[in-house]
Amino acid sequence: MSVSPTWLGTVAHLHITARAFLPMRGMPAIELVAGQGIRGDRYMIGTEEGFYSAKPEAGRQITLFEEEALECIRRDHGITLLPEEHRRNVTTRGVPLTHLVGRQFRLGDCLLEATRLSIPCRHIEEILEKPVFDPMINRSGLNCCILEGGTVRLGDAIRPA
Amino acid sequence: MRHIRTVLRAAEPAGPAIRLLTLMDPDGWPLPKFRPGAHVDLHLPEDRVRAYSLCGDPAQQDRWLVAVKREATGRGGSAFLHDGLAVGDAVAASLPRCTFPLAPDAMRHVFVAGGIGVTPFLSMAAALDRGGGDYVLHLLHRDAVPLPALLPRATVLHDTAAAGRPALAALLGGPAPGLHAYCCGPPGLIAAFEAATAHWPGGQAHVEHFVPPPLLPDPEARPFTLVLARSGRSLDLPAGAPLLPAIRALGAEVEASCEGGICGACRVRWLEGPPIHRDRVLRPEERATDLMACVAGCAGPRLVLDL
Repeated sequence: MSVSPTWLGTVAHLHITARAFLPMRGMPAIELVAGQGIRGDRYMIGTEEGFYSAKPEAGRQITLFEEEALECIRRDHGITLLPEEHRRNVTTRGVPLTHLVGRQFRLGDCLLEATRLSIPCRHIEEILEKPVFDPMINRSGLNCCILEGGTVRLGDAIRPA
Repeated sequence: MRHIRTVLRAAEPAGPAIRLLTLMDPDGWPLPKFRPGAHVDLHLPEDRVRAYSLCGDPAQQDRWLVAVKREATGRGGSAFLHDGLAVGDAVAASLPRCTFPLAPDAMRHVFVAGGIGVTPFLSMAAALDRGGGDYVLHLLHRDAVPLPALLPRATVLHDTAAAGRPALAALLGGPAPGLHAYCCGPPGLIAAFEAATAHWPGGQAHVEHFVPPPLLPDPEARPFTLVLARSGRSLDLPAGAPLLPAIRALGAEVEASCEGGICGACRVRWLEGPPIHRDRVLRPEERATDLMACVAGCAGPRLVLDL
């Protein structure tokens, strides 16, 4: 008997950037490489252009952020944080990211494993000139490694593995 | 601390002893956005750090334009940027910072620039031209006109070699509701501007210094203990001792550029003090949590920093 998932989400936005500090670029699709990262992104293994590339860890391969958290930050703090500003790669809709630490789940056809909650960085306040550090504590997304790669597109389903 | 990697893509003469540099990402990726009036620090060899206004259009996101005047008596930064930097060379830069913003509630802006001090007004003018803002740029110059190709249409040139310095009060008009005046240039021009606007309402006259104003010794300075909260390390400082070298001596990394309290590079969060600020860049509400390490002191026995 199959167990129906308790949640089913979608990919709302996709972003990458070539280097630390540079603006994130919205993409219609991104290509995930198992064990390495996202092609063209600053944390792709072999690129090492990220702010934290000198502190490598598997969970830097791809990062996710809840679109709902953007709405909460606006509601609670009056700060408009845009999908291209949180600096995570995937903006999700309808996914309880904080519940997924240590679990595997499907992003489109790709398989991810969540390694830890993301931690905000003062670096982002410097880039945005917005006081978002405190508002992002405990809701700044999810770090994941890529177990099965492939192409992820806007609107793809996100679901438990 | 990481810097932004740029490459010098073009360099051309642009007025008397001025070299106009075009900096781009190595792959042409958009660079970080900047606000009109912003500047960046360029990190040059031998640990030299120099601040330059971004004088291009903020809407043009793939390049930063920086105009460098050769300072014959300078500290060597401008000479390097004129003679030591070739097209194709890498240049490390900071994120843009804006300590000289356009007043958001202004109905009209009057800019007064002395020579190469025109640079912050060029990005402001581009933004105002785009948004339909009302402004005039008075450019006072002694030599040939600086950056002639970048000047906006609303520029009024004043050749001070021929006619002397114009009366600033007459140029500025005002004070008037919604009228904001700005000045950037050599110290003499800034002093004249500050005198001409001394009777203006607070917050309607703005200046940006080329070089930090000299820091007067504080006769009330007292010794205090510097504590870095994260590392737990501490150091006793004698009265009047500078803070930034002490922080670094304790092993913390803090960026610095002007080291005179105007550029905003060495901003640090403080936890216990209260600090004596002495900077020219933080707003009162920002001082409640942050200080500029290059000029700050402490009024209490302990200064605890979030480092």
